[in-house]
Amino acid sequence: MNLAEGVQIVSFGILAALMIAAALGVVLFEKIVYSAFLLGGVFISISGLYILLNADFVAAAQILIYVGAVNVLILFAIMLVNKEEVFKPISGRWIRKAATALVCVGLFALLSTMVLATPWNLAAPITAPESTLILIGKHFFSDYLLPFELASVLLLMAMIGAIIIARRDFIPDIEAASSDQPLQTVWRLPERPRELTPTQGSSNQRK
Amino acid sequence: MLSVLLLVPIIGAAIVAFLPMGESKRLRQFTAIIATLVFAWIVYLLTQFDLSNSGFQFSEYLSWVQPIGLSYSLGVDGLSMPLLALNGLLTWIAIYSSRGDIERPRLYYSLILLVNAGVSGALMAQNLLLFVIFYELELIPFYLLIGIWGGKKRGYAATKFLLYTAVSGLLVLAAFLGLAFLSATPNFDYNSITTEGLGLTTQLVLLTLLLVGFGIKIPLVPLHTWMPDAYVESSPSTAILLGGVLAKLGTYGLVRFGLQLFPETWSLVAPGLAAIGTVSVVYGAMAAIAQKDIKRMVAYSSIGHMGYILVAAAAGTELSVLGAVAQMVSHGLILALLFYLVGIVEQKAGTRELDVLNGLMNPIRGLPLTSALLIMAGMGSAGIPGLVGFAAEFIVFQGSFTTFPIPVLVCIIASGLTAVYFVILLNRTCFGKLDNETAYYPKVLLTERIPAFVLTVTILFLGLQPNWMIRWIKPYTTSVAVNPTGLQIAQVETQK
Amino acid sequence: MDFSSNIATQLNAGAILPEGIVVVTILLVLICDLIVGKSSARWLPYVAIAGLLASVAALWLKWDATESLAFLQGFNGDDLSIAFRGIVALSATVTILMSVRYVEQSGTSLAEFIAILLAATLGGMFLSGANDLVMIFVALETLSISSYLLTGYTKRDPRSNEAALKYLLIGAASSAIFLYGVSLLYGLSGGQTNLDAIATALANGDGGESLGLAIALVFAIAGISFKISAVPFHQWTPDVYEGSPTPVVAFLSVGSKAAGFALAIRLLVTAFGAVSEEWHFIFTALAILSMILGNVVALAQTSMKRMLAYSSIGQAGFVMIGFIAGTDAGYSSMIFYLLIYLFMNLGAFTCVILFSLQTGTDQISDYSGLYQKDPLLTLALSICLLSLGGIPPFAGFFGKIYLFWSGWQAGLYGLVLLGLVTSVVSIYYYIRVVKMMVVKEPQEMSETVENYPEVRWSLPGMRPLQVGIVVSLVATTLAGILSNPLFTFANNSVINSPVLQSAKLTQPIAKAGISETSDRPIVQ
Repeated sequence: MNLAEGVQIVSFGILAALMIAAALGVVLFEKIVYSAFLLGGVFISISGLYILLNADFVAAAQILIYVGAVNVLILFAIMLVNKEEVFKPISGRWIRKAATALVCVGLFALLSTMVLATPWNLAAPITAPESTLILIGKHFFSDYLLPFELASVLLLMAMIGAIIIARRDFIPDIEAASSDQPLQTVWRLPERPRELTPTQGSSNQRK
Repeated sequence: MLSVLLLVPIIGAAIVAFLPMGESKRLRQFTAIIATLVFAWIVYLLTQFDLSNSGFQFSEYLSWVQPIGLSYSLGVDGLSMPLLALNGLLTWIAIYSSRGDIERPRLYYSLILLVNAGVSGALMAQNLLLFVIFYELELIPFYLLIGIWGGKKRGYAATKFLLYTAVSGLLVLAAFLGLAFLSATPNFDYNSITTEGLGLTTQLVLLTLLLVGFGIKIPLVPLHTWMPDAYVESSPSTAILLGGVLAKLGTYGLVRFGLQLFPETWSLVAPGLAAIGTVSVVYGAMAAIAQKDIKRMVAYSSIGHMGYILVAAAAGTELSVLGAVAQMVSHGLILALLFYLVGIVEQKAGTRELDVLNGLMNPIRGLPLTSALLIMAGMGSAGIPGLVGFAAEFIVFQGSFTTFPIPVLVCIIASGLTAVYFVILLNRTCFGKLDNETAYYPKVLLTERIPAFVLTVTILFLGLQPNWMIRWIKPYTTSVAVNPTGLQIAQVETQK
Repeated sequence: MDFSSNIATQLNAGAILPEGIVVVTILLVLICDLIVGKSSARWLPYVAIAGLLASVAALWLKWDATESLAFLQGFNGDDLSIAFRGIVALSATVTILMSVRYVEQSGTSLAEFIAILLAATLGGMFLSGANDLVMIFVALETLSISSYLLTGYTKRDPRSNEAALKYLLIGAASSAIFLYGVSLLYGLSGGQTNLDAIATALANGDGGESLGLAIALVFAIAGISFKISAVPFHQWTPDVYEGSPTPVVAFLSVGSKAAGFALAIRLLVTAFGAVSEEWHFIFTALAILSMILGNVVALAQTSMKRMLAYSSIGQAGFVMIGFIAGTDAGYSSMIFYLLIYLFMNLGAFTCVILFSLQTGTDQISDYSGLYQKDPLLTLALSICLLSLGGIPPFAGFFGKIYLFWSGWQAGLYGLVLLGLVTSVVSIYYYIRVVKMMVVKEPQEMSETVENYPEVRWSLPGMRPLQVGIVVSLVATTLAGILSNPLFTFANNSVINSPVLQSAKLTQPIAKAGISETSDRPIVQ
């Protein structure tokens, strides 16, 4: 074992420990803000693992996107909606917690066994490519061309969807007044439960 | 040739359902005309029927859906031809006897025509899957006929009918799937399917599925509970179709697919079948005696009479199969007449209670002619010589006696019981003094009498000249009898 | 990765022409809406429908193409995929027909709805032909994310929000599980993402029988089962179906499901060919649970949409029989059934939409006595429901018979018998609705129906609804009787697909396993 390998193993150990600890923290902390920050820690550790795997571009993208965008967005959301709510402690809560823990530990054990027991079909020793960027680019424009292009449609749709969900509605009354239909047929959500429907019109009333 | 029997009623149903035809009476006329056409075509087919040919005639074949082995192949032989005629006649009777002011006439008449087409299709189908299609096709029309135009508990009766019949169709379908697959045929064509080479257990399992499936439809005793409700709750014309026609599909299937496809295994299950048939006969008669409602009484009597068919089919001799088919026809006619007359009594007198009705024979204020015909029908049902019931039952007993002496003896005793409950029925309703409070029943119109007359004349005529019914059946029975000598099963029994 | 000049021929980009048409339609819809504004809502749906029909036509042209692999084997445009892509595109077409009026009346904008629906269609179509793990996942996500958006589209309705959130959370979790399983596959095959390459690598290497492959299989099936809502991965279905806009439910129950089945066939048959015995076993369990639970729980429902939700779970169970059979007939019976299911289920949903537009309710008890007010609706809904229940001579009967017949031929006696029994159960709850509508007397009419306004087909958006009802009614009635071309089509699509033909080699082993595991051995 030469020095490089030693450094690799040590840094892998540190990163892995960090990641597991941070991930446990995300789940176990009561305060949601702590969880959010620790999530950032998880993402950073993952990007460290990527660097160990020679994937420098992915590592950078990981930090930029997950830490820089996703995690910050989560924090924003938490802080904007930071309403203190006192939850009543549920009786017998520890049973649920214990059951969850048991399932999680079991799953972890199963997956670890799987990782160790499976004869992985490892490729020949990998030499570090000159530039991962070029490699990724080649893939994007050859065998992963179609998913790459489809992803653009996906992002377009996600954007449109986000706008639709976030945008403010236009005022219904103007529309209703301009059209020749009676008000209630335009603005009644078809299958809304009764109590939500404003009592307009008589044709839709029921006991 | 045979497709006419499907196309005419189906197109007629579509016309009735979708084209504006005006009031209810005109719809009935139109539907009756279609039914007459169909019946006339059947009569024409009867005249063209080759009596020397024991196989299928007028065959039609059209490859329909190859991947599932479904073909549109029709054909008739001596088993299906008389039943086809019965179906045509009873549909006409049912249409004619419907009330003129019935609600939602378009749906009603189109459903009746669909029922006619479905039963005809099932009787003619030479492909097992095609049979199942027509067999299940009956489900929804009858469900609606009972559920919409039935009596007080019609919802309950209709749902019960639907569930039982759906299970029946399912069992039959399962048996056919097994039959077609295990006998290694790529399709469901009747002629290419054979049970030869199948293991005994397999055959028994398949046959049991078939027996239970058709047994629900007939209905046989442990499976009959849907039947009194359905018969009693449905209107007279629906009851005529249910009891006269639909139940025949069960016995038809039993003979066509049970007896004919499983000739070897049939003799194994035959003693059990005969026992069940005998139990049905006795149970039907006993239960009928206990009834206070005349329609229910007639319904239970039907269970008893279907039992004879089973005994005869189980015996499987040439003569007994002949008797079974004859009994199917005769039972259809007599039951239709009974239901029709009971319907008239109910309509005029306003009740079906045995304790309330009496003195219908009163020549002025009662229903004299109806009562007279009712007596006639009762006699027919009880097997009085000179009527078709006697002829059929006599052949049944004679044909089955050598094979199953004891069940036949029990059946003969039970047919005596039939006379008992009809005497009860007639004695209570027709004779006695007509109560003054309920006096003056509305007169039965001439048009209302016509169906009863037609049925009575047919019953009388076939009773006096049974050969006119039997000549069409005869060539068929010579070819199918699994037990020509009639002694085989008995010998097997004694050896055991 | 060579970048030589022949890359264009390797791309074979013509194979995704139908999808290209859909993409162009999406852009057209969005841009027209931007430029013209609100008034475009009158004709935009027809643009979308025209685009989808053109896409179906393009699929037709691609039928039996000599070179089916495209994009360096990332996409497989074989006949199997064409059949499924056609089903997805057609279901989107009918969904648009039924959604015009609905979306307008719920006060949301139509153009975006159509655009997102088209994106979901696109995802479903790509998923049906995807031949590469990355492609599968991106297509799956396109379908899923669009579905989440559609589910929450009527955002002023709290139930729609709840449905969207539920769907999003469970969907994201199942995607993650699916991705985990698929990544194991990547590792086991030594870094391959192409399905064929994975199959070869697994066959050559010693990872074929390992624990890793088993876990990958279980996780992948969990993801797929979520899409086809097979029990026990169905928990989202009733709530989402009840809360989301009805046209969306219609699309989810047909288009999304068909795409899920296409994915199941391709992924499991190709990549997991080595463990086909195991996944046959898992799917047998899923099918049994789906048929029983879906059909039994549907009995107790009072809301039409919930009932259809549970019935669609049961129907998925029936379709799985064809999948488990694993024969030519089995696969083609799946395609045939899905084609028919498309029309009957969408027809039923169109009727439910019309009723809820007229009355604002979808309680089954509110349908009572409907025949007096709206015979067309009653007729169409009755026939669609009876067809779903498998009553001859409607199309559903033929579909079920074919499924059962192929299952029986493959020796799945227990499953087929269970299917027969549960379809009788299903007849009961379908007939309950028919009974409500048809059998009830005029005086038993529900108050809702008494106030039922006369249908005004001339209102904007009602015409497409009418067309949708009539088309599905005609298709449901006639597709069974005149089903021979459909049968041939389904059969050819299977026979002409090399994916399924090469999988045959592993079949004998699988079948032996099945007849042992099925709960009813051959009776001899």
